[in-house]
Amino acid sequence: MDNAFVPMPAVVEDVITETPTIKTFVLSPERPISFRAGQFMQLGIPGLGEAPFTPSSSPFVPERMEITILRTGSVTNALHTLAPGAVVGLRGPFGRGYPVDHFEGREVLVVGGGVGLAPLRALLFWLFHEIDRVKRVSIKYGSREPAELCFRRLHEEWGRLPKVDFTCTIDRPAPGWDGRVGLVTTLLDGLDVDVKEAVVVSCGPEVMLKFVTLKLCDLGFPPEHIFLSMNRNMSCGMGLCGRCNVGPFYLCKDGPDMCYADIKDIPYALG
Amino acid sequence: MLFLGKTRLPLLLSRLAAEYELFAPVPSGDSHRMARSVPGLDPVFPPFRLSSSLRAFWLQPARVLATWSARGPAPGPEPKPRAIIGAKACDLRALEVLDKVLRGQDFVEPAYAAARDRHFIVSGDCTEAAATCFCTLVEGAPWPERGFDLNLSPAGEGFLVEAGSGKGDRFLLAQKDLLDEAPATLVAERDRRRAQVREQVDRQNEMVRPRSPYLQSVGKHLKTRLWGELAATCVECSACNYNCPTCYCFLLHETRDAGEVKRISVQDSCFHAGYSRMAGGGTPRLQLTERFKNHYFHKFVWFRETFGITACTGCGRCVEACMGKIDKRKCLRDLETRWIPTEVVQEL
Repeated sequence: MDNAFVPMPAVVEDVITETPTIKTFVLSPERPISFRAGQFMQLGIPGLGEAPFTPSSSPFVPERMEITILRTGSVTNALHTLAPGAVVGLRGPFGRGYPVDHFEGREVLVVGGGVGLAPLRALLFWLFHEIDRVKRVSIKYGSREPAELCFRRLHEEWGRLPKVDFTCTIDRPAPGWDGRVGLVTTLLDGLDVDVKEAVVVSCGPEVMLKFVTLKLCDLGFPPEHIFLSMNRNMSCGMGLCGRCNVGPFYLCKDGPDMCYADIKDIPYALG
Repeated sequence: MLFLGKTRLPLLLSRLAAEYELFAPVPSGDSHRMARSVPGLDPVFPPFRLSSSLRAFWLQPARVLATWSARGPAPGPEPKPRAIIGAKACDLRALEVLDKVLRGQDFVEPAYAAARDRHFIVSGDCTEAAATCFCTLVEGAPWPERGFDLNLSPAGEGFLVEAGSGKGDRFLLAQKDLLDEAPATLVAERDRRRAQVREQVDRQNEMVRPRSPYLQSVGKHLKTRLWGELAATCVECSACNYNCPTCYCFLLHETRDAGEVKRISVQDSCFHAGYSRMAGGGTPRLQLTERFKNHYFHKFVWFRETFGITACTGCGRCVEACMGKIDKRKCLRDLETRWIPTEVVQEL
């Protein structure tokens, strides 16, 4: 049996600066890595350590993986210094990924905050590719300020796709910004969706997930239709090291995307 | 059933030592500890489990999970197989718990799996109970029923010998010259001794005997405030976890030396505030009471629901080790008897 603790080498082909604190690393792994949207990888610098990231690239392109990373800790700080040609290590994929079979024939509401749009981008690739299988895709995205909007270069293109709409907001007014202002939850006001039938997928900071979930419940979305990309310290990726539990669930093997119905009664599941 | 005369035990162990590096209990202060044994030694069989669990034999506090370099994975040297003498029933039940997690799921913890395969376990019945033993409260018994390669039950002037695995069967087959068929009277004596120790464990835990399964009595406290009271004297030292034979949580880190990278797992504890801390500083269980509750829920509710067994063997080492004098048995009794529905805390 292969030792799942040994990483596969991957060459950094390109580094795209998305925002002052977010970069996308385009990686070419030694062998193609098939993954489902929402599954995550452990990306590391040999000898320094690794951290969990959900690829932001298309699950239909296994030979080239993009991972979009916010600089926020020791591993991500080191990753941000890498230039094309560097060799990193990849383990995975881990976790179950988004329950895309559940989306069949439904409206899919995608709610992202900050760098939380990165894992959702892999799902968007899947949804755009399989657009005939869903009724509609509605993307609601928020960030603190215009400079922190992730994948800004792609927003317009996404909004123009058939059966797709894209709306974004920033938390506070900013010079030169004439778009919407307010927390991402304000984008959920006056939704034109069938709340009993639609499914929601959300990824972002824990506090955002909490208030998005509260709002969705207020609006009448059933907890069974709300899927949250949860935040925990996922280390081994295999349900062995024990650090990432939310109640009985280990996010690394049972998540990281959890159905709200499964976790709603667990204290502090959403902070 | 086979019988091994007491005087023949050293010879049987010396034959075991031809294949394995032997570890056996030796007196240490007022207790016993495991030590590397020499062939011919007449081992001491302590009356009950050792103060330290046997976990370090298969889950060393720091262990290398993978080594690799630019040339790819580098296998380390193959360690010599070992035989452990004198394991008790609670030690064996702990292995069932560890096996479920570390080699019973989609992914296997390679260092643990290798360590399990290279150990030959000779267990023994408990002949007394420690004051903190409570195996019978968690569906256990003070004698091994499975999980051993050989089990020795004191009876008459020797031991009844049972094999519990293919490895044990094969070994016993080669020891026919040392073994006799056991008379029924010795089997009856063994059963009587076992019942006596069981009764001792039951008697000393009479005041804390649960009326309902722990799964229910702990499970109903997901949102109550009782935990703060139970954890009042906890100093977060993690002695309970570090002495627990079933705790397996670890922290991964890496070292790099001359192009060779080692991924090392280090024993960790869910009682540490930083245990589940994420990049950016967020910690899901910032309060001690939440970590305390998580410990109980993991062992008595969630593990049971997921794997079908309780992640506590009733060895009582956590009770012995606790500096805050927290007795798990009493906490469990309080959780069962002090149920006040109005104390339920409303969360999101």
